[in-house]
Amino acid sequence: MASDKASNSNPKVAEAEKLVKKADKLTKFSFTKWFPDWTAATPLYEQAANAFKLAKMPEAAKIAYEKAATGQERSSSPWSAGKHLESAGGLARELGNFDEVIDLYKRASELYVQCGKVQPAADALDKGARAVEDVKPDAAVRMYIDACALLEEDGRDQMAFDSYRSAASIYIKLNRYEDAATVFLRWGQAADKCKAVQSQCKAYLSAIIVYLFADNFNLADASYNDCSQMDSFFKSDQNHCAVQLLSAYREGRPDEIKHVVSTSSVIPHLDHMVIRLAKQLPSGKVTAIVDETGHNGLDEDDLR
Amino acid sequence: MSVIDILTRVDVLCKKYEKYDLDKQRGAADSMSGNDQFLRLYTVLEADIEAAIQKSQDAQSEKNRAVVATLNAEVRRSKSALQAEIPKLEKLAEKKVKDLSKEEMAARPDLVVALAQKIQDIPDGVTVGRRGGTWGAKAGASKPVEIKVDAMHPDDLMRPEHYEQTEESLGFKQEYEARRAKQDEGLDVIAAGLTTLKDMAGDINEELNKQMPLIDEVDTKVDKAAADLKNTNVKLKETLIKMRSNRNFCVDIILIVIILGIGGYLYTYISTPFTSPFI
Repeated sequence: MASDKASNSNPKVAEAEKLVKKADKLTKFSFTKWFPDWTAATPLYEQAANAFKLAKMPEAAKIAYEKAATGQERSSSPWSAGKHLESAGGLARELGNFDEVIDLYKRASELYVQCGKVQPAADALDKGARAVEDVKPDAAVRMYIDACALLEEDGRDQMAFDSYRSAASIYIKLNRYEDAATVFLRWGQAADKCKAVQSQCKAYLSAIIVYLFADNFNLADASYNDCSQMDSFFKSDQNHCAVQLLSAYREGRPDEIKHVVSTSSVIPHLDHMVIRLAKQLPSGKVTAIVDETGHNGLDEDDLR
Repeated sequence: MSVIDILTRVDVLCKKYEKYDLDKQRGAADSMSGNDQFLRLYTVLEADIEAAIQKSQDAQSEKNRAVVATLNAEVRRSKSALQAEIPKLEKLAEKKVKDLSKEEMAARPDLVVALAQKIQDIPDGVTVGRRGGTWGAKAGASKPVEIKVDAMHPDDLMRPEHYEQTEESLGFKQEYEARRAKQDEGLDVIAAGLTTLKDMAGDINEELNKQMPLIDEVDTKVDKAAADLKNTNVKLKETLIKMRSNRNFCVDIILIVIILGIGGYLYTYISTPFTSPFI
């Protein structure tokens, strides 16, 4: 069976290689050729790439795709070029060259931006990030955040939610909780811009929970104060839950914290990684937070 | 004629001319008026009771609610009037009346009580089962002890045992608590389901808001594509028409004929080499 397949694909593979050689000749500089003929070469490269892909030779297919992409770029069709680069990136992922994957997807995204198509650009970055997030999480996170920035610039904040979610989950996996909380707050801001109240409130509550999980009560409190200035968050159930959690922390009662988390009606609807963190609250030692200013600076004996 | 026939005939005649029998009437009036006021009042009350019962039966069979309400009100009014008459009847029952046997005298108070009961029993559309019936949803089995509303005697209230819990009341309380807890559980389940629904609905709302501009974009793009197609079709039609116009057909046919003619001439020229002058 395998040998049959090989023999079946061999003529196709051979044909594909011939095409590649032909196209290479068309594009190489030589005495007779002063200008490379990309318009003729590009379709040859595309055909060859398809043939290699079908024959399951990802290395050769990837190279062919890249060359086809260059051809399209020179022929000023960045859209097709971007598509080819994306295919090349997928193949590179199969091969395991993750640096190349990042590079290819970034180039594809830039080409899409050139055509003025922001959504596919962001999608390309997302795909690239997803491909490498296990191996190179830092790069992946950066790509996610770049995708969010792209969409926000274009005014399509709502499509950025998924990217924010992925970025935050990677940060949580890396135990970089402050960064994760920052991402959540940015998510809340994006949601506020497009009036997605529910997502906004959920994002803010997630940020507070992450801060509390990181044992950083002050930051949690500060961010809560900021968030509660917003009307839409202030009136929500998530605000209520946040208030309960923070007051339980302030009083330093772990059983109260657990009770709030288990009986809350909003926490089960957050993202699952945040739910996992919430269930593990309180992490670390919880002591009652004493107000350092004491009696607000006024002393009873100070009545003069 | 036999004796029996005569007797029956006499009875019929007497009945016919009863109203002319002054003695009998005077006797009846005597027995009614003056001497036996009790009996008179009793018969009057009985007649009223019958009328009230008739009215209540009408009310029960009546479909129209307004009519039912009026009939019930009238029945209640007559009931209260009759009940007001009962004490009078009781007083009369104690009075001694001549020509009345001792047994009958003793039986009169009982008659009064029976009459009072009869009045009470007239159905007047008020909630049935006031006495000894079960209360609404909370009670379990019917109580062996009757529950009376506003029927407390002051002595009862002073008794200390009055405020203690009996077995029945304890059981009643426990059952009430158990049912309430069950209701609370059910309500909790419903609340949890509702919060999930609310969350899902909010998410769906946001998703729809997200999709709206996308669909608008798709709409404009599809409209543009449709317009382009239309234009292309029109142009194609024009081109085709130009290609196939009649003038071109004629030209084509003439040219074909000419070519055939030339071909035929050449053929004849080649096939007759000897007679051709051009060798």
